[in-house]
Amino acid sequence: MRMGFRGFFGGLLTRWPAGCRRYPASRFALVVGIALATGASAANAQRLQMPAHEKVVLKNGLTVLLLEKHSVPMVSVAGIVKAGGRCDPTGMEGLASTTAGLLRKGTKARMAQQFAGDIDFIGGTFEADAGADYSSFAAEFLSKDTAKGLELVSDALLHPTFPQAEVDKLIAQSVDGVKAAKDSARDVILEYYEGYLYNGKSYGRPTGGDEISLKKIQRDAIVKFYESYYTPGNTILAVAGDFNPGEMKKKIEEIFGAWPAKAAPAAKEEAAGPMKGKKLLLVNKADATQTYFVIGNVGISATDPDRVAIEVVNTVYGSRFTSMLNEALRVESGLTYGATSFFSLQKEPGPFAMYSFTRNETTGKAIDMALEVLKKLHANGITAEQLSSAKSYLKGQFPPMIETSGQLARLIVRYEFLGLDDNEVNQFEQRIDRVTPEMAKQVIAKHFPLENLAFVLVGKSSEIAPMVKKYAEKEDAKEISAPGFWPGTK
Amino acid sequence: MTWVAFKEKPMKSRRNRRIPLLVFLAAMACVCRTSGQEYPVATKTLKNGMKILVQTDHSIPNVALYTFYRVGSRNERPGTTGLSHFFEHMMFNGAKKYGPGELDKAMESNGGSNNAYTTRNVTVYQDWFPRTALELIFDIESDRIQYLSFDPKKIESERGVVASERRSSVDGQNEGVLDEQLWATAFIAHTYQWPVVGWMSDIEHWTMEDLKHHFEMGYSPSNATMVIAGDVTPEEVFALAEKYLEPIPAHAPPPPVTTTEPAQSGERRLVVRKPAELPLLMIAYHVPQTNNPDFYALNVMRSILFQGESSRMYQRLVDKDQIALDVESESDNAFDPTLLLFLAQPKQGVDPETCEKAIYEEVERLQSSPVSDRELEKAKNFRLAEFYRQVRTINGRANTLGTYEVFFGDYRKFFDATKNYSAVTKEDVQRVAKEYFGAKNRTVATLVPENEEKGKP
Repeated sequence: MRMGFRGFFGGLLTRWPAGCRRYPASRFALVVGIALATGASAANAQRLQMPAHEKVVLKNGLTVLLLEKHSVPMVSVAGIVKAGGRCDPTGMEGLASTTAGLLRKGTKARMAQQFAGDIDFIGGTFEADAGADYSSFAAEFLSKDTAKGLELVSDALLHPTFPQAEVDKLIAQSVDGVKAAKDSARDVILEYYEGYLYNGKSYGRPTGGDEISLKKIQRDAIVKFYESYYTPGNTILAVAGDFNPGEMKKKIEEIFGAWPAKAAPAAKEEAAGPMKGKKLLLVNKADATQTYFVIGNVGISATDPDRVAIEVVNTVYGSRFTSMLNEALRVESGLTYGATSFFSLQKEPGPFAMYSFTRNETTGKAIDMALEVLKKLHANGITAEQLSSAKSYLKGQFPPMIETSGQLARLIVRYEFLGLDDNEVNQFEQRIDRVTPEMAKQVIAKHFPLENLAFVLVGKSSEIAPMVKKYAEKEDAKEISAPGFWPGTK
Repeated sequence: MTWVAFKEKPMKSRRNRRIPLLVFLAAMACVCRTSGQEYPVATKTLKNGMKILVQTDHSIPNVALYTFYRVGSRNERPGTTGLSHFFEHMMFNGAKKYGPGELDKAMESNGGSNNAYTTRNVTVYQDWFPRTALELIFDIESDRIQYLSFDPKKIESERGVVASERRSSVDGQNEGVLDEQLWATAFIAHTYQWPVVGWMSDIEHWTMEDLKHHFEMGYSPSNATMVIAGDVTPEEVFALAEKYLEPIPAHAPPPPVTTTEPAQSGERRLVVRKPAELPLLMIAYHVPQTNNPDFYALNVMRSILFQGESSRMYQRLVDKDQIALDVESESDNAFDPTLLLFLAQPKQGVDPETCEKAIYEEVERLQSSPVSDRELEKAKNFRLAEFYRQVRTINGRANTLGTYEVFFGDYRKFFDATKNYSAVTKEDVQRVAKEYFGAKNRTVATLVPENEEKGKP
C-alpha cells in the first residue's frame, strides 16, 4: 500500500481496495519522515549530496531558496510563514490553519472558483495549512506553466481577501471535519495524546481546531492574523525543479519583490519540559472492537544534539519492521497489525510516542508487552549487530527521500526555518557512523522515558477500563463525541 | 513535519483537496519522454515463463523491485475469502534459506525495506534497497518463491495480525464497512463480491491445506512479472535472474475465472446503521475491465466530474450547495468488468439522499450536453501532470510499468496513453456517461448514524 490506494476521506488508509502487509502509506511516511526531519539521513556520501542551491534575501526581507533540478519538466514551490498554531489566541485554536486554508479562497484578482479553475487547468496544485510552529504552503506545476503557476502562488500569498462567505463555508467544513475524523480512532488518537501530554498548552493545542474553538473564529481575527504574520520578512520561499536559476531569480524578484516590507511579531516560544509521574486518559468509543493506544512523554526538538543517535536507537526500538516493538507485538505474538515508536521533531521539544492497537480483550496484554520491551531496552541496551543493522538501514533508505524537486523544496525550506544546514544531508552518513554503543546507551537513559509516562487510549471503556487502571495513579476519561481533544476543553 | 502528516491529514484533506487517488490513472496520461529524457525498458522472458522488465536510472544509488503475481481475491472461493492476502503475509514468514524473521532482518541490515499489497486481481511484492543489496534481494526472492514454509505457529500468529488489520482498516472505518457491503451487493455472481481482506469468519478458519493449495495455484513463475527500476543495468539483472529465478520450475497458472456477472437490470440499495458522527454515501456503477477501449474516456469523464476544486461535483456539492465535505471517485485496475465508485461525505445533518440527488443531476447534465473545450483540455492537462508525478521516482516507474504490463498485457501501452487520451472527444465522454451511468446499473449504499439525534445540527 505504500504506493497508493490512499485514504479516501482521511489521509490515512481508510478504503479497502487492497490488503497490505505493513502500515499504510502515510504511516510509513511518518516513520520515514522522522529521518528526514532529524536530518538524520543521507546515503553514500560520495554519490549523494544535497543538490546545490542558492539563497537570496530580497530587499523586502523575503528569503528565497532556489534549487535547479531537471529530471522532470516540473517546478515545485514550498514555503513557510513563521507563525503557526502556537500563535492562535487561547480558545481560538485553528486560526492559523483556517487562515492558510483561505488563501486560495478569494483574492483581489480571483474568486475562489476562479482560482481553482486556473490552477486545475494547468494540472497544478496549491495547498496551504498550519502546523504548530509555522504555516506552510506548497504548489506544483509543469515548467511550461511557470509564469502562471508563480502568479497563482503570489496571488494567494500576497492578495487574499478572505470573503465572509468562504470563511463561513470553511469553518463549517472544518467543524464537520473534526467530527468525521472522530469516526476513526486512528485518525485522532495523536490529537488526544498531544492534548493530554501538554495539558492543552503549547503543542497540546489542536492546530486544526476543535468543535468549539473553530466556531469562535471570526473573519476579523483571520484578517488580523494574516496582516500580522504574513510578511516578506517572516516568510521563506523555496523553488525547486526545472528552471534556469538566473531567469527564476528575476521572476521571483519581479513578483514577490513587490510585497511590502513590514515587521511581524515574533512567534510565541513556549517550551514544555517532560511531565512527571504517570497519567492515563481513556477516550470512550462505544463501538470500538479494537483499542488504539499511545504511550510516551515530551521528547526532543528538531535541533537536539542527540538527534542522530536517537534516530539510530529508535530504528532499533520502534521505527522499522524488525524493531523490538513490532517484533514483540506483531511478529511474535500476532496481537496487532503494527507497533511503532517515533519522535515528533519540531522547533521545541515535541512528543515521543509508542503506538499500537489491538482487540479489546488483549488491550492489557499488549500494553504490558510494550512496557516490557521498553524495560528491556533500558536493561539490555542494543547489540552491536542491531546498531550496525540500523545504520545500514537508515543510510540505505535515505536517497529516495530526496529524489524529487518537491521533496527537496520542502526539506530546504524546513532546514532554513530550523537553522539547520546542508550537512544534515551531506554529513549524515558520517554522523550515523559515529554513533557508538556508549552513545546509544546514554541516549536510551536520557530520551526513552521509563518512569514518567502519559497513556492515551481510544477504545470501548466498558470493556477495557478494568484492564488499564493499573498503569497510572491519575486517570481521566472523555467521550469521543464530546468536543475537543483533551479533558479540559471548554 | 512527519507528525503532522500522521495526525492532521484527516482534517486537512477535507479542507484542501488532494490530487486524487488512483496512482495508476496518474500514470496513464503519459508520454515516454520527459525533458528530452527517455525511459528505455529492457525485457527478458525466462525459460520458466517469468518476465523481467528493467528500467535503468542512476540518479540515486537505489533500486525499486516489484513482483506482480496475477492472483488475487478473484481467484478465491467462499470459505477461504481473504486467502490471497493472508498468503501475501505468509510470504514473509520463512522459507528454506531465510527462516522465520530472517528475510526482514537480512533485508533491513543491508539497507533495504519491503512491503506488499493484494487487490482483487493481483498480489504485488515490493522491495526498496541500495544497489549494493541487489544480489541479496534475488537470493531472498528466489528462496521464498521456491521453498516457502508453513509453520503452524506462524500461521496462527499471522491470523491474529490479519484480524487486527481487518478491524483497523474495515471495521474501524466507516468507509471500509460501507465499501465491503457495496461490493457484496453490486456483484451477485462474480468473485469480486467479497472483500480482499476476507470475511472475519474465513480469516478464523483458513487451514494449512488452503495455504498450500493457494501457493500451488497462484505462484508459478509463469504467472509473475518482475519490474526493476533504478541504479542497475539490464545485463546484471538478467544474469541474476538466470541464476536465481530461471531454475524454478513452471507449472499451470490459476484456472480462469469463468463466471460472468449478469447485467444489472435495476437499482440496488443498501443501508448500514451504526454509531457514527456523520453519514456516508457510496454509489457504484458497473464498468468494463481495465483493458477496454472505454478506459480512457471514462477517466476523462471522471476528471471532469471529480478532479480538483473546479470539478463539477466539487463545485456543486461542496462549494455551491454546501451539502458535502468531500466528493470523490474511485476505481481499481481489474481483469474483469468491475465497479466505478462515487463517494460523498455529507455534512452533519444532511440527508445522504440530498447528496445523491445532486450527484444524479450532474450525471444527467453530462449525459444531455457536451462538456466544454476547456474542461476537456483541463482533464488532459491533469493526466499529463500526474504522469510526471508518477514517473519522477524509481518507485513510481516500477509500479507503473508493471501495472501496464499486467493489466494491458504490454508495458509499451504506457507510451501510447497520451495519444489515447488526446483521442478522447466530447462525444466519447457523453457516450460513456450515457452507457454506464444509468439508474439501472447502479448500487447505492448509505451509512446512517444509529444515534440519529446526533445526526441533526
